[in-house]
Amino acid sequence: MRRWFWWFLLVPQGFLLVGFLQDLGLPPLDMAVLTSLYLAWFAQRSALPFLLLGVAIGRTLVDEATLPVHILVIGIPVALLLPLRALFVAQRWLWQAVAAALLAIAIPKLAGLFGRAFDQPSVSSMLDGWQVVWSALLVPPLLSALRFLPPFVAFTEPTGLLKVVAR
Amino acid sequence: MVKKSAAFPAGLYAMLLFALAWLTLPRVFAPLERWLVGSACFVPRVGSAWMGEPAMAGNREELALIGELSADLRDRVKRHDFAGSGITMPNDDKSILCGVLSVGRRGGGGEPSELLLDHTYAELGDYREIVTKGSVLLGFLLKPGVGRAVDDKADDPARVILCNHRDAPRLYAGLESKDGTQLRFVIEPAASVDPAPLRVDFWDDPYRASKLQESQQRVYTLPVMFGQERVPGGLLVGRTRRWGYEQDDGQDTLTIGMFVTPAVAPRALSHVVVWQSGEHAAPPIEFQSSLRARRRIQATVYDLPGATHGRHMLVADEDVPDGAAVVQDGLFLGSARGLCLGSALVTSFAASRQDWSLLFLPPEGEGGPVELHGSVVRTDGNVAWLRWTGPSREQLARLGEGFLFTGSNGKFCPACLWIGRAVPDQFERNLLKVIVPVLRGPRIAEVIVAERDV
Repeated sequence: MRRWFWWFLLVPQGFLLVGFLQDLGLPPLDMAVLTSLYLAWFAQRSALPFLLLGVAIGRTLVDEATLPVHILVIGIPVALLLPLRALFVAQRWLWQAVAAALLAIAIPKLAGLFGRAFDQPSVSSMLDGWQVVWSALLVPPLLSALRFLPPFVAFTEPTGLLKVVAR
Repeated sequence: MVKKSAAFPAGLYAMLLFALAWLTLPRVFAPLERWLVGSACFVPRVGSAWMGEPAMAGNREELALIGELSADLRDRVKRHDFAGSGITMPNDDKSILCGVLSVGRRGGGGEPSELLLDHTYAELGDYREIVTKGSVLLGFLLKPGVGRAVDDKADDPARVILCNHRDAPRLYAGLESKDGTQLRFVIEPAASVDPAPLRVDFWDDPYRASKLQESQQRVYTLPVMFGQERVPGGLLVGRTRRWGYEQDDGQDTLTIGMFVTPAVAPRALSHVVVWQSGEHAAPPIEFQSSLRARRRIQATVYDLPGATHGRHMLVADEDVPDGAAVVQDGLFLGSARGLCLGSALVTSFAASRQDWSLLFLPPEGEGGPVELHGSVVRTDGNVAWLRWTGPSREQLARLGEGFLFTGSNGKFCPACLWIGRAVPDQFERNLLKVIVPVLRGPRIAEVIVAERDV
């Protein structure tokens, strides 16, 4: 129960923190990309629905679309990437970088699509090329650290806690 | 090996289905969202205690300017919307300016064809059927319990069907051709896939009609000689749009169809004029309608740390309705999404991407306000680029530097709230550059909420 408390307390605030760091001059990084890749490849499958809810709540704080739209925008890429988890047991950084870049493109596109479909356009539907580049560069090292830190560590599958195999 | 049950994340799929159900029935799940997101706002709300003392207001000169401009806009809206009408209306008829709460239902040309007004049927009393704006015919006010308004009651918002609604009556109209003669015809609502909302159905002289070479000619209603007159003559319906085949060798185009584009785009409408009959005038009753929410409650607006510029948190003593306008001394700060325990998230005009109904006020002496419809497509600091539709050609020609105000954007976001200065983009005429004032730090504001005891 305690791990859920920390998840719902810290992860939504992470969206504000990432934006705050960007205001200070750090590279643009979409917290939704980071968390959705964590959900797809490292998080416990049984916990996914409510982990997703926590991430969607965080995105609602920084984006004008409603909560269910964010659940779909983040949940659909997670559902698509999830079956690939078995193929990436070694968690190689190259695949993580490719997946992060794809997510940085897919999430704004899905936000635009659902924004039009449900009449909830939002500023996050704008595709930013720099964000794609920085996601590919920063998400793998950040994930390798974050999944050993609370509140992520409490939801990481045992295979996800293995060290990165450099080949 | 991964177990089959683990490979198929039923919980995740169930959550996605639940989100779809949530979007289908937003009212049912609205309290859940208010509590979930409101709980996440608890941390910034506690943190707001260290954000400093809220500022009260801007400087006196700015406040005076905003006050003057808002008063000028209201005055010019009335002058412009009432002008022109009444020429053929009975003298003792009384005109009432009504705000538009919402537009909806796709009609001819794929454009919206229904309006809900901020007055109830009961408030309007014994009203005439036609709805106008200046000298323009917009549509027809329905009667509660009859036809399309069969489910409406007297205390519901009055419903207007525009001329392109499929239930709208056909209009007897005409245009003045180049040789000075009049060409008469009947207009009916076009199909939703047609290129314009209205189409000409029947000509008095089909041969002359086929020779028409001009577009954008003004179309006016004509008085009928026989039967009951539903629409007086002389009201502007719109402008013609010719449909036909291009001929080779510079020959005239072969006209095969004529459409009419309404004089005012439905999505841009902020105000309309309804006519109360003077024949059996009932004594005026002062209503305090819940449809025109004007009660303002005090709130404090905080910048959300790190959120996209223009995203704020609001703390008030009461629950804030969704879409409520947040105002500081006449300046529109943004629209709110209500959360639990009196908190709300506010998105400023520049940071929003929603569709807005807007009013553009040209400098004094340059005509009436222009009604626009548009959404912000790009933001750079305190400058937002708005892609707009709505103004007619004449209005477009005189669109220079001016001031942008909210139009009617629902029950809790009324017209005439100052947004910023606006100037058409140099390179793209359908872009408006809007310069909004920069405000930082916590400040005291007001939120428009529902009336208490109605």
